[in-house]
Amino acid sequence: MKLFNKIKCTVALTTIALLNGLVFAGDGVEQSFYPYKDGFPTADKIVPGLVITKDNADIAKDVLDPEMLKHVKDGWVEITVGKSTDFILNQSYIEASKNNIGKITLPTEKGNLEGGYIAGRPFPEEPSMDDPRAGEKLAWNFQFGYNWGDGAAIDPFYWRYRNMNTGKIERELKFDFHFLNWAHRVNHEPLPEITPNPSELFRSIYVHVKEPYDVKNTQLLIHRYQNDLKRDNAWLYLGFQRRVRRLATGQVTDSFLGSDLMIEDFEGYNGRISDMNWKYIGTKTMLLPFYNHDEQALTDEFKEKDGYKFVDFHGKGGCFPNVTYQLRKVYILESSPIDGNHPISKRRHFVDAQTFTLPRTIIYDRAGKYWKSWMIGQAHPDHHLAVNKGSGVAVDDSFGMMDVQAMHCTTGQFKGIVDPNLNKPKMFKVQYLRTSGK
Amino acid sequence: MRLKLHYWNNISVLKKYSHAIGGVLLATSLSSYANDPVEINGFVENATSIREDRGLSKFRNTLQLEFSKNLNNFAGFYDISLNATLRGSYDGVYDLNDKEFGAKAGRSINIEDQNVGSVPHGQGLGSTNPDSPYFGAPLPPGHVLGVNTAANPNSGMVVLGEHLHKTAGGVAFGVPVRPCDVDPRGCLKGYMDKSENELRFSEFNDNLDFIREFYFDGSMDLDSGTLFNLKVGKQQIVWGRTDLFRVLDIINPVDFSRNNIYDELEDIRIPTWSVAAEWQYGANDTFDDINFQLVWVFDEPRPNNLGQGGEPNAILDAGSFFRGMNNCWENGCTVANFAGGTTATDFGPNQIGIRQANVPSWSLDNTSYGFKIEGVYQDIGFSVNAFSYLSQLPSLRGGIEATNSFTGEEGVWPYLIAFDIEFPRINMFGGSLDLYSESLDSAIRIESSYSTGEEFANTLKPRLFSDSDVFRWVLGIDKNVFVRSINPNKAFLLSFQTFGQHLLDHEVENGPLGIVGMPDWKDNYISTFLLKGWWMNDRLSPQILTAYDWRAHSGVIAPSIDYINGNFRFTLTANVKFGDGAQEFSDCRTCNPFSPFTATPVHEDNNGDGFPDSYDVGLGGFEPLGRFRAGPIGMANKESELQVSFRYSF
Repeated sequence: MKLFNKIKCTVALTTIALLNGLVFAGDGVEQSFYPYKDGFPTADKIVPGLVITKDNADIAKDVLDPEMLKHVKDGWVEITVGKSTDFILNQSYIEASKNNIGKITLPTEKGNLEGGYIAGRPFPEEPSMDDPRAGEKLAWNFQFGYNWGDGAAIDPFYWRYRNMNTGKIERELKFDFHFLNWAHRVNHEPLPEITPNPSELFRSIYVHVKEPYDVKNTQLLIHRYQNDLKRDNAWLYLGFQRRVRRLATGQVTDSFLGSDLMIEDFEGYNGRISDMNWKYIGTKTMLLPFYNHDEQALTDEFKEKDGYKFVDFHGKGGCFPNVTYQLRKVYILESSPIDGNHPISKRRHFVDAQTFTLPRTIIYDRAGKYWKSWMIGQAHPDHHLAVNKGSGVAVDDSFGMMDVQAMHCTTGQFKGIVDPNLNKPKMFKVQYLRTSGK
Repeated sequence: MRLKLHYWNNISVLKKYSHAIGGVLLATSLSSYANDPVEINGFVENATSIREDRGLSKFRNTLQLEFSKNLNNFAGFYDISLNATLRGSYDGVYDLNDKEFGAKAGRSINIEDQNVGSVPHGQGLGSTNPDSPYFGAPLPPGHVLGVNTAANPNSGMVVLGEHLHKTAGGVAFGVPVRPCDVDPRGCLKGYMDKSENELRFSEFNDNLDFIREFYFDGSMDLDSGTLFNLKVGKQQIVWGRTDLFRVLDIINPVDFSRNNIYDELEDIRIPTWSVAAEWQYGANDTFDDINFQLVWVFDEPRPNNLGQGGEPNAILDAGSFFRGMNNCWENGCTVANFAGGTTATDFGPNQIGIRQANVPSWSLDNTSYGFKIEGVYQDIGFSVNAFSYLSQLPSLRGGIEATNSFTGEEGVWPYLIAFDIEFPRINMFGGSLDLYSESLDSAIRIESSYSTGEEFANTLKPRLFSDSDVFRWVLGIDKNVFVRSINPNKAFLLSFQTFGQHLLDHEVENGPLGIVGMPDWKDNYISTFLLKGWWMNDRLSPQILTAYDWRAHSGVIAPSIDYINGNFRFTLTANVKFGDGAQEFSDCRTCNPFSPFTATPVHEDNNGDGFPDSYDVGLGGFEPLGRFRAGPIGMANKESELQVSFRYSF
């Protein structure tokens, strides 16, 4: 009987412990994916409808990064504050994240996650300033984030190269971009991985240039592997040569087709976690370009058959997306390259805590001076194309990359489409570049 | 079956084009169901070149239009598109510098004679012209020496190779250089016989080359999960991974008359009517990607366009050699320093030269076919290639019936420099790799091929050619390097390539008077190096391209600057050649085909017939076989140019 009671007691304690674990797990996930369930963040005088100009910029000094604040003060841009909104990611991604609570760990050295990571946010727990590797965990959350879901396309995608001093558009490129997660999939079959996948690819990006003539049919394919220690592979198909060229590492940290972006800049950061040292700086309430696409001042400059209109640009040189900013919970994260030959010294990322997208990044040159400013507008999927509604993807919708040293910028106007049919695995093979090239 | 083959063998070009027209109609029909508009792009361009000592060498004005039309699904195929590229150009050099390259080109010429310095064309040994220093010279009775100067007058000619080298004791003869409708001498029917208008408007010819491309492209998902892609029509099919060198990129012939070896292959490949069927299997447990492609070129065989005698760009100056040789055959010619190695000699018609070019006509047997397996294994891209085709380069085969200059007798004379041009079948097997080297931080490209059936000049053989298996390879390395003091934000591209060629059946010997055998090098290497930088958001791009032929000791350095402003593009290039230039080799003057009349004191009678045997003892000079040693870079040694192009794209 005594023994029976002891067993009963042990079972009870174990059950309580397990339940506690589940509750804790649920809490962690809740906090991570629903940070605004108890209300949206607020800041003094920062209210929807406010227009922050050079005349009243100081009221936003605590909610704008110093570089953006300076641009406002210099009269480069005015920022209209919008209402904060919930960007709840896809439920399947949230569910997958629950399994990671307390299980996923970082390796002793740089490398791959341990603990049997399958999908979802690897570290839903709140970062701690006491954790020396909190920055790395945030980076992993971004890397395995729900950016574009399991796959999506941007078609068309207009890039404009602009002179910031004169506003002159020097060049316009028309692309289509495609993204596919090979592994860690949560939503579209097959789950969690597309097989066979002999090289254990994690993610691929396929880029196709439609215009102008001199670079038409240029295509870029990037393969990132599940093994974070394995270098990305990238291939470029040059239309004027009709050949596929494998890219050397240097070419992903080089200006992409003459723009102000390097391939590594795509989506805020497009590289391996092991290529950078990561540092968590802190958590803040900040204004970030999150908005409802259908409530913005759109341009009808580009005609789409379905009537879709693109985000417009304004401000100095026409380099800033003309969108509303909203108060968001933000993790400040710094990355500095391990490679001493890297063209930058560091990036400061402002990570949206709910979506783990990188809507704002400041890039510093090798001397540590402010070099580039990255803004990528995040549109709510339920206020976008019909196909995006309910997708749970924060839709990349507009970007501006300013080179403040050269006074030059590249802007991007997206038509993001979360549709797996536009991103079939065949598109992400080297042979596809040759077949579809010309 | 025989009848069926007979049908295939006689299908006419017209019928083939009618099939294409049928295709257009089909496309139009399909397109009526498609909503996508026709995409049209293109450009207009002026390309102007100034050549040292020659003046204007190009004033080409081009209009190129590219069409693409998406069509509705058809017969299980989807993503169907019709793609067409039309190109027309007018090269004004034949009007603006017609004294060098047009209807007024050439002049009366003198041919070197080491006894008397030189003689006018048509006044060498054997001439019946009283002004000839050899008028009345004793010759064997019954000889048929002597140029038909009525048909081959001393006008409108240059001396073979004169722009590159002096005759210098070697052989040479006159080359007519005017367009073939102005001066038909030496024009090889169906091969190098362009009229002035065909030179001016190079795409408007019997092959309808203004239709650069016209093909359907479509895909089909097979039940097995394999993606099947089919491209049918006039197209370029590109194999390989390297630039400039055509180790695997051999499916389409190439037009070297546009700008020698210096234009992008994209612009100088000659598209052919062909089918490319590809099964894309995707990934499996071993390969990240694996694909199988079948290629069938059902077009009539087309050789490379080497440029004819009198054109500004004639690679290896082969066109001049062929034209001069055909003129020799048709009309007779004065050959420098021939008799005794010193005397300009007037050969009569049908004695030496090139009789004809036997460009293959269309037949099923003459079509080309091959396959490619291409994939990715771990981090390595690879391909295995095989292609069987008719040579795109001419082969000069001796052993044709000719007239003995000294007896008038008809016969086949061993070692006689009398040829037909043929295009033999070649079988190529090859492969390629690309990979990334972490330690070098460089992308590496490798191509190699092994071919059988290629023919080379060989003065050791009675017909003056032999075949050899050939191994070719290219190693290319691409690296990006920052030079931050010059450009802090954008790396420079360094691209290095070396091409190697090994002739497995190479033959050379030391003859009594010089080296005899195959003039091509047994082993040769050509290296290229490209340094390219970008400024102004890639709109300003200077580069330096160099190429060096290690055995010919000849090279080229081509600095250029490319500037884009909106739709306008401006390119300025200096193409500067350096190095040894022309090379020497036995010219078969001393091959003794008409023994004993052409024998030298060193020829021996080994067969015991009482006459010195026919074989090459090696007296040589720059022409004609030295060109195979000098290669395309060395033979263009005096063709340094300043090149400017303006392009407006739309």
